[in-house]
Amino acid sequence: MSSWLDYTINGLIVGNVYALVAVGLALIFGVSRLINFAQGSIYLVGAYIGWVAVVQLHTPLPLTIIVVAVVAAVVGLIIERFGLRPLQNSVRIAPLLATIGISFVLDQLVMLTFSPNPRALPSQLPDVRFQVGGGTIGPLDLLIAGVGISSALLLFVFLRYTKLGWAVRAASQDRDAAMQMGVDVNRVNQTVFGIAAALGGVSGLLVGMYYNQIDTAMSLQATLKGVVAEVVGGAGNVPGAVIGSMLLGLVESYGVAVFGTSYRNLFAFLLLVVVLVLRPNGLFASARQAPPEPLTGTFIAPSRPVRIPRWALAVAIVALAILPLLPVSFYILQTLINAWLLGMLALSLTLVAGTIGQVSLGHAALLAIGAYTSALLSLTLNVPVGLAIMAGGLMSAALGTILISPSFRLRGHYVSIATLAIGEIVSLVILNWESVTRGPIGISGIPPLSLFGYDLISPASVYWFAFAVMVVLALLQARLLGSHLGRCFRAIRDDDIAARAYGLSLNRYKSLAFIFGGFAAGVSGGIAAHLYSYINHETFNTQQSILALTVVILGGLGNVVGAILGAVALVGLPEVFRIAAEYRILIYGIVLLLLVRFRPQGLLGTI
Amino acid sequence: MTTGAPEPLLALTDVNTFYGQAQVHFDLSITVGRGHIVCLLGGNASGKSTTMKIILGLVKPRSGEVTFDGASLISLTTPQIVRRGIASVPEARRLFADMSVRENILMGAFVRSDRDAVAQDLDKMLTLFPKLGQRLSQRAGSLSGGEQQMVAMARALMSRPRLIVMDEPTMGLSPLYVDRVLELIRTINQDGVSIFMVEQNASLALEIAHEAYVLQTGKIVLSGPARTLKDDPRVRDAYLGGSEAA
Ligand SMILES: Nc1ncnc2c1ncn2[C@@H]1O[C@H](COP(=O)(O)OP(=O)(O)OP(=O)(O)O)[C@@H](O)[C@H]1O
Ligand SMILES: [Mg+2]
Repeated sequence: MSSWLDYTINGLIVGNVYALVAVGLALIFGVSRLINFAQGSIYLVGAYIGWVAVVQLHTPLPLTIIVVAVVAAVVGLIIERFGLRPLQNSVRIAPLLATIGISFVLDQLVMLTFSPNPRALPSQLPDVRFQVGGGTIGPLDLLIAGVGISSALLLFVFLRYTKLGWAVRAASQDRDAAMQMGVDVNRVNQTVFGIAAALGGVSGLLVGMYYNQIDTAMSLQATLKGVVAEVVGGAGNVPGAVIGSMLLGLVESYGVAVFGTSYRNLFAFLLLVVVLVLRPNGLFASARQAPPEPLTGTFIAPSRPVRIPRWALAVAIVALAILPLLPVSFYILQTLINAWLLGMLALSLTLVAGTIGQVSLGHAALLAIGAYTSALLSLTLNVPVGLAIMAGGLMSAALGTILISPSFRLRGHYVSIATLAIGEIVSLVILNWESVTRGPIGISGIPPLSLFGYDLISPASVYWFAFAVMVVLALLQARLLGSHLGRCFRAIRDDDIAARAYGLSLNRYKSLAFIFGGFAAGVSGGIAAHLYSYINHETFNTQQSILALTVVILGGLGNVVGAILGAVALVGLPEVFRIAAEYRILIYGIVLLLLVRFRPQGLLGTI
Repeated sequence: MTTGAPEPLLALTDVNTFYGQAQVHFDLSITVGRGHIVCLLGGNASGKSTTMKIILGLVKPRSGEVTFDGASLISLTTPQIVRRGIASVPEARRLFADMSVRENILMGAFVRSDRDAVAQDLDKMLTLFPKLGQRLSQRAGSLSGGEQQMVAMARALMSRPRLIVMDEPTMGLSPLYVDRVLELIRTINQDGVSIFMVEQNASLALEIAHEAYVLQTGKIVLSGPARTLKDDPRVRDAYLGGSEAA
């Protein structure tokens, strides 16, 4: 029994930490209907500022907390002012993408400044434990609980008894009406971002002290956990976010107690998916309340696509096909092979996110499914590699569609959250299903690419294979877009309510899009597996999902040629300019931000 | 504007408004005289609500001028315009549903900082709208449509505006409440507040208005003193034309 009390205490303490992140997300969502994917980065910044304060400046604890809160708040204000405010009148997807770009930039800056190696963040409190009932509790637990509860109280007082607090509440219920009462919505946004960032930063500090260690991977984890807690409590609902956080902390803690540590995150994401599917407005929303997101087609920038004449495309295909015959370096072929693989993923994502409007943030999971299927089939059952890759594509198509299907009724931001969670779930299942996937060890010795019994060893043959597969997929997809089916996809993207009113079955069309997209991504993952010869649960991670999204936006959402061009640009340009690997993610983040701000329709325009 | 006439409180001059490619207003010109009730009539989608949004700065015209008390509103934000003395009763009321009735009414005084006077004004609202007294701590979203309309009007008055713009204040109300609302508008006006109201129900609006304009697909097709328009068959025709075009 005593350990159960410990797990409960632990769950509530961790819940407090999540609450500090989730409350900020809820405030921001309330006012701007935006899920701030940069929230975890601010938490990361908070942890590292805390490290600087504690380890280098030797500040006493109260001062450490104040320094962290202030610096984090300033970062939040800067994000709001320069990252998001300029996007106020642009398409609805823009701020979401901007926060993703900002989080990449911030994480990468922290990594470049402090190195990716974990650092020890010493707790500034004595290391003693008190007996409470059957469990134990330490000073840090009490500090975290104290900070959590006093923040909640302060926030309550602020929202309920101050003028600015009233403005925040009014703006979150009806932005236009609040403006008509004289509320300056920009000021409200600023306030909310400042508060959210201060709380998030302090949360990062406390977590660092709790685990005695900080590293840059904390950022995405924090965003994910905060989003889970917030959505469970009902997006935009501040008290709901607190309760959702406690619930999440407890579910995780008990889950760990029963199944072990590596299952911690699995429970978080399963909880999220279950809530999204059964009660998308959160556990505490009244049933009659409309979803807080009035979304229609304006989610994606409309534009006139750049027309590329057929002959030009044909010339380009021929030129790229004969490239290996020319005296080009191995290095260039290698780079282009990577571009073609990313191109296939981008084809998949541009169909799903662009054409039918389901902005997926978990697309790397489709790569992983294809890669594992193909690797395991060829390795354990001796299935010929060509066939195994096909099977990988089919498995991604089937499994990907089945996994995403419960969230077909979600829209807008919720699709992004659900796909992100499903992507994480896939990678966690791979990690934990050791009997099949070999768990954390990964799969090594995957046979090289081969076709009809001939091994494709030379760079040129690999190049041709990848290029040919990509071109075929691209041509198929172009055909698809021009067909009646393609028009139905776009109708659903532009106005799903009207599309349904015209009798289109949303589920059927979304399934078709995910089947086609899943196949392309699965094939890409399959080829990659045989090319790398080693894969594990981290080979295909969220960073790749986001990279693919950047590629797709760079090319123009829905645009087939654009997807490939975007892949070549984002893989090729860093090579051309010989940009060191550490800086690439930073560059991708900046590219995403610039695109969203200055050319949301991408290079070739959305279709 | 003819020379010699007193300067109007609000003037829209040659306003052209677009949503993307679609033009909603064509050289719209409207004036609201000081102390007057002016009403804008028109069928569905004729651009009435957009006119309100132009006055409040929620939508900016592509060309044209909007002045309030002689000063241009074109470059001002909505909160700045509200501070100049324009309050609104939006279409469908738009109360803050999860805030209490008291909080909603006090939100109307957001631009004021004279706490004591605000508290006095709240009491005044309760004499003007006696039914709200028992409802003060109730969630605004739980009120009936008619009660919500009362809250919306009280909220608008709380900023001590010189002009209130109202978008279809009688829409969806029972006949009893419609009479009550019209009567209240008249009372408010007699206390010196000018009113610009958008209405579909011409005969009701013309009962209380001093002047009226008829809008048809973004153009003013008819205007004049309310009492002359009341019996003018062209008002009805404009409506029919408007609804055919819509
Ligand atoms: N935000 C918007 N974006 C694009 N078009 C809009 C927008 N708001 C209104 N419109 C269009 O502008 C036209 C005028 O709309 P408006 O709301 O001003 O009409 P209205 O006279 O108030 O109509 P109603 O009697 O239905 O309230 C309509 O055709 C409407 O579809
Ligand atoms: Mg209207």
